[in-house]
Amino acid sequence: MPASELDVVRGTLDLLVLRALSWGPMHGLAALRWIEDRTRGELQIEDGALYPALHRLEQKGWLESVWGYTDAGRRARFYQLTAPGRRHLAAELSRWERYTRAVSRVLEPEPAR
Amino acid sequence: MGALHARGVARARAGTGPVKRAAFGWAGLRRVFRLPPSDERVAREVDDELRFHIDGRIDELVSRGWSRDAAESEARRRFGDYAEYRRQARDIDIETHHRRRRMDVLDASRRELRQGARALARTPAFSLVALATLALGLGATAAIFAVLDAVVLRPLPYPEPDRLVSIMHPVSGKAVTSDKPWGVSPAGYFYFRREAHSLAASGIYLTTTLAVRSPGGAERVQAGAVTASLFDVLGARAAAGRLLDAADDVPNGPAVVVLGYGYWQRSFGGNPSIVGRTIDVEGVPRLVIGVAARGADLPMPSAFASQADLAGLAVELWVPLQLDPAARPVNTHPYSMLARLEPGATIADAQRELAALTNRLPEIAPSAYSAAFMQQYHFGMAVTPLKEQVLGSTARVLWVVFAAVGLVLLIAAANVTNLFLVRLEARRREAAVRSALGAGRSHLAVHYLAEALLLTTSAGAAALVLAWAGLHVFVALAPASIPRVASVAFGWPTAAVTAGLSIVLGVAFGLAPLTTVGGVDIATLREGGRGLTASRTRRVVRDALVVAQMTLALVLLAAAGLMLRTVGQLRQVKPGFDPQRAIAMHVHLPWTRYQGWQPVAAFHRALQERIAALPGVQSVGGADEFIPLASPGFCSVVWVEDRPLAPGEEPPCVKVAEVEPGYFSALGIPVRGRLPDWHDAEAGTGAVVVTRALAERFWPGENPIGRGIKGNGSRPPFYRVVGVSGDLRGDGLEKPPVEAVFFPIIPMKDAWLWNPPNDLELVVRTSLDDPTSVIAAIRRAVAELDPLVSVDDVRTMRSVVAHSLARVSFILALLGIAALIALALSAVGTYGVIAYLVAQRRSEIGLRMALGARAAQVTGMVVGHSLRLAGVGAIAGIVAALATTRLLASLLYGVRPTDPLTFVAAPAFLLAVAALASMAPARRAARVDPVEALRAE
Repeated sequence: MPASELDVVRGTLDLLVLRALSWGPMHGLAALRWIEDRTRGELQIEDGALYPALHRLEQKGWLESVWGYTDAGRRARFYQLTAPGRRHLAAELSRWERYTRAVSRVLEPEPAR
Repeated sequence: MGALHARGVARARAGTGPVKRAAFGWAGLRRVFRLPPSDERVAREVDDELRFHIDGRIDELVSRGWSRDAAESEARRRFGDYAEYRRQARDIDIETHHRRRRMDVLDASRRELRQGARALARTPAFSLVALATLALGLGATAAIFAVLDAVVLRPLPYPEPDRLVSIMHPVSGKAVTSDKPWGVSPAGYFYFRREAHSLAASGIYLTTTLAVRSPGGAERVQAGAVTASLFDVLGARAAAGRLLDAADDVPNGPAVVVLGYGYWQRSFGGNPSIVGRTIDVEGVPRLVIGVAARGADLPMPSAFASQADLAGLAVELWVPLQLDPAARPVNTHPYSMLARLEPGATIADAQRELAALTNRLPEIAPSAYSAAFMQQYHFGMAVTPLKEQVLGSTARVLWVVFAAVGLVLLIAAANVTNLFLVRLEARRREAAVRSALGAGRSHLAVHYLAEALLLTTSAGAAALVLAWAGLHVFVALAPASIPRVASVAFGWPTAAVTAGLSIVLGVAFGLAPLTTVGGVDIATLREGGRGLTASRTRRVVRDALVVAQMTLALVLLAAAGLMLRTVGQLRQVKPGFDPQRAIAMHVHLPWTRYQGWQPVAAFHRALQERIAALPGVQSVGGADEFIPLASPGFCSVVWVEDRPLAPGEEPPCVKVAEVEPGYFSALGIPVRGRLPDWHDAEAGTGAVVVTRALAERFWPGENPIGRGIKGNGSRPPFYRVVGVSGDLRGDGLEKPPVEAVFFPIIPMKDAWLWNPPNDLELVVRTSLDDPTSVIAAIRRAVAELDPLVSVDDVRTMRSVVAHSLARVSFILALLGIAALIALALSAVGTYGVIAYLVAQRRSEIGLRMALGARAAQVTGMVVGHSLRLAGVGAIAGIVAALATTRLLASLLYGVRPTDPLTFVAAPAFLLAVAALASMAPARRAARVDPVEALRAE
C-alpha cells in the first residue's frame, strides 16, 4: 500500500476523532461510538487504531487528556479539544469540504438529459 | 471555560456516552493529575486505557445478549493488533512526556531568570556595584590569561615542539665576565652532529641584518644565516621553489637565498616567478631558490644578537652558512644550536650524551679547547627544552602577574560575597514568607542560584569586553623582549576560562545563603525576632571577609612596593654615560665595497668630519659593536703584558670593542688620562682605553696607564693603556660594571685586531633638546659619501636607558595596577561593612550619646573597628607576603624580598586607606540624633 493512501486514511481518522471531540470531552470508546453512530457502521475502523491517533493528536497539542470517572464510576482517560485543536479542526473541515466537493463533481453521474 | 465545559458535558451526555464531570474542572484536574512522572507510569496508563476500552466493548456486547466469552473474543477481534497499537501509543506518550519535561525545565529556568533579573533591578545599587566589582576582577584575570595562554601555554609553532631542544655551553668562574651562556663553535657543532645518537636532526644559525638592493633603493632585512639541516629541525616547508639543501650548504657553495613568506608577500607581492631570479644581497647577486612557508621563523635571536635584532624574529631572508667541517677548530661560540630529539630520547639522555661529548672536546679539537680552558671556564653543556629557552624568565613574570590578578579576583569575590550577605539580611523577611508558603530549601536554592548566576555571567560578559580593551593596553605596554607578544589575541580558551570562572562564582554566591553561616534560619525567621547568635555569626563572617581582603591587598601592595623600590634603585644606578641629547644609529658598509682596515676607517673618518660639521652636533664617534645598554658587543680573551699566566691558567674573556676617536665624548663617558685621537689610530700608536672595572681586575691598586694589553696570544707588541673610563653599565643597569677594552679601529703595526668595523654603532651628541632632528642631515651626509651605505636602527640614548628599564617597569606597572585595584576594592569592602555596622547599631549609638558619649568618641569607635580589621589583615598580610615575595627575588634589584621599608610602608598605607574608608560612616554615626534613634526602636 503506497504511503499516500495510508496517510489519507490516517488523516481521515484524525479528522473524525477531532470532530467527535468537538462535541465535548469524552473517552476513546465514547468517541468511537459517536463515529459509529454517525456512519451507521459503514466505515470500518479497527478499535485499536483509535489510540495511536488520539495520542498523536495529544502530542501535537490539539487534544489534552485527563483521567476522570465515568457515570458508572470507572476510571477512564478523557480527551478534550484544545484551542489550537479547535482551530485546526475548523481548517481541516473546510479543506475536506472543498476536497470532497471537487471529487464528487468529477465522480457524480452525468445528469440524464 | 466554564461555559464551554458545561456545553461539552451536556453534548457528551446527549451524544454517545456518559462522562462524569470532573471534580475541579479541567484546569484543576490538570494540576492534580500532572503528567505522569516516569516512563513506566506512562506505559501503565496506556495499558489501563486500552483495558477500559476492551472492557467497555465487552459490557456493551454482553448487554446486547452475547455470552461473555463470545463478547470477549469479538471485542478483541474488533480491536485489531493489540500489541502493535499498544506499542505505538506508548512510544508516542513517552516522547510527549520527554518533550514536556524539557519544556518544563526551560520554562522554569526562564521564569527564575526573569525573577532574578527583576530582583536585581529592584536593587540597582547592589547590582551595579557587584557587577562592576566582578567585571573588574574577571576582566583583569581574563586579560592576563589571554597573554599567558598565547605566550606560555601554547606550544611553539613547529611540528612536535616538545622534541625541540636548544644546545648551549654555560660558562662560569673567575675568567668569565658575563653570566650569559655561550653558543656552539663550528667544530663543536660538526662533532656533536656526527657523534650524538640522541639527536635526530640538528642545525645552527646566526641572526643578522642584510642589505638588499633593488631599483627602488637599499633595504635592510632580518636574515637568518643557517645550516641546511636547520630546516629539518624546525620542520619548515617551502611555499614555492625549495628550501636550502645540503648541496647549497658547502664551503664556497652557490650564492643562493630563500625568501621569508612575509618578505615575499611584502616586497614581491607573493609572485612565485621570483624563484629563479637573482636579487642583490650586500652587493652579491644571489639566486632565489624558493620561499619558506608561512610561519617558518627562528624561535629566538642568536646568542650575540644586538637589541635591534631582538625587535623581530620574522626571518625575511635565509642564507646558507656554508661552514667548512674540515676548517681548523677555533674557540669562538657565536652559533645558536637547535636540535630535534630522536623519538624516545629524553632531554636527560641528550644532556648526558652531549655533556660527555663536550668533555672530550680537548681530544677532538685541541687547537680550540685546552684542558685548562675547559677547567677555568667551567665549560659545560646545557640541553634545554626549546620552549624554556625561548621564554626564559618571561614565564615566571607572567605567572607572577597572573597570580596578582588572581588575588584581585579573590578580593572582588570577597566584596561581592559581603554584598550578598548584607542583601540576604535585608531579604530575610522575604525568605521567611517564601518558606512559610512551602518553598523548600531546594526552591530557595534555585531562586538564589538564578539570581547569582545572572549577575556573574553578566559580569563575565562585561569582563570580556574589559579584557579585550585591556589586552591592547598590555600589548602596547609590554617590552619587546616578551616573546610572541604580538601573537597575543583574544581566543576561545580565554572566553572559556572567563565563562567557567563566572559560573563557579555564581554557584558559590548562589549557594552561600544556604550554608548555616549565611543561612536563612527558618526557626528564627518565624519568630520574627533577631536570632542573636545567628546574626553574630554573620557579623564575624563579614569581618573575616574584610580581614581576608586586607591580607590579600597587603600581599599585592608589598609586591608592588618591592618592584617600585627596584625601579627606584635602578634609577639610582649611574649608567656611566650621559644619555641626554644623544642618538645612536647603525651604519653598515657593504663588504663588497669596503674591504680591509684602511678603506673602512677612511670612510668612517670622512663621515665623522661631515657629521661633526652639522649644526647642533657637538661630538660624534662610533664603535664596533659595543654601545652600553644598547648593543652588547662581544667578549674575547685578552692577554696582559708582564703578567704571565700561571701554569694551566687561561686568559679571561672580557668585552672588547673597536672604537673611533670621539666615542667617549659622544657618549659622555668620563675618561681619566688621555683620549686617543685620529692621529693615534692612523699612526698606529696602539693607544687603548679600559674601564675601571677591567683595570681593577688586571692591575688592582696599581696605575693602569702605560700597561700593555692585547688579544690573540701573549706575543708582543701590546697595545698601551692611555686612559681609564669610569664605571660603565654595559649589559644592564642591574649588572655589575662592565670590564671592557676599547681598541682603535685600525690595528697597530704588526699587532692583531679582530675585524674591520664594517658595522659601526655611531653615537652623535647634540646641543638640541630633540636630538632626532639631526637625523635627516646625517642621512644626507651619508648618502653624499656613498648611497650604498645604510643607516638604520636610529634611537635616542634616553630611549635606550628607558628600554633597559622596560622589563621591571612593565612588571611594576602591572603589579601596581593590580595593587591599586585591590586597595580600592578593599576600601569599598571596608566601607560597606562599616556603613552596615553603623546602620545596624544606630539605636545603640543613640543610647550611648544619650548617656553622654561625645561625637568624637563615637567616631573613634567606628574608625577603631575598621582599623582593628585592617590591623589583623595587615599582620596576616605581612606573614603571607614574607612567604610569597621570595618568588619575586629574581626580578628584584638592590632590595631584598624582605625589604624593611616596604614592609613598614605597605601596612601603614593599608591602615590609612582603612581609616579613610570608615570616615564617612563614622561621621554619619556621630550625627545620630539620640532621641530619634531611640524612638525608632
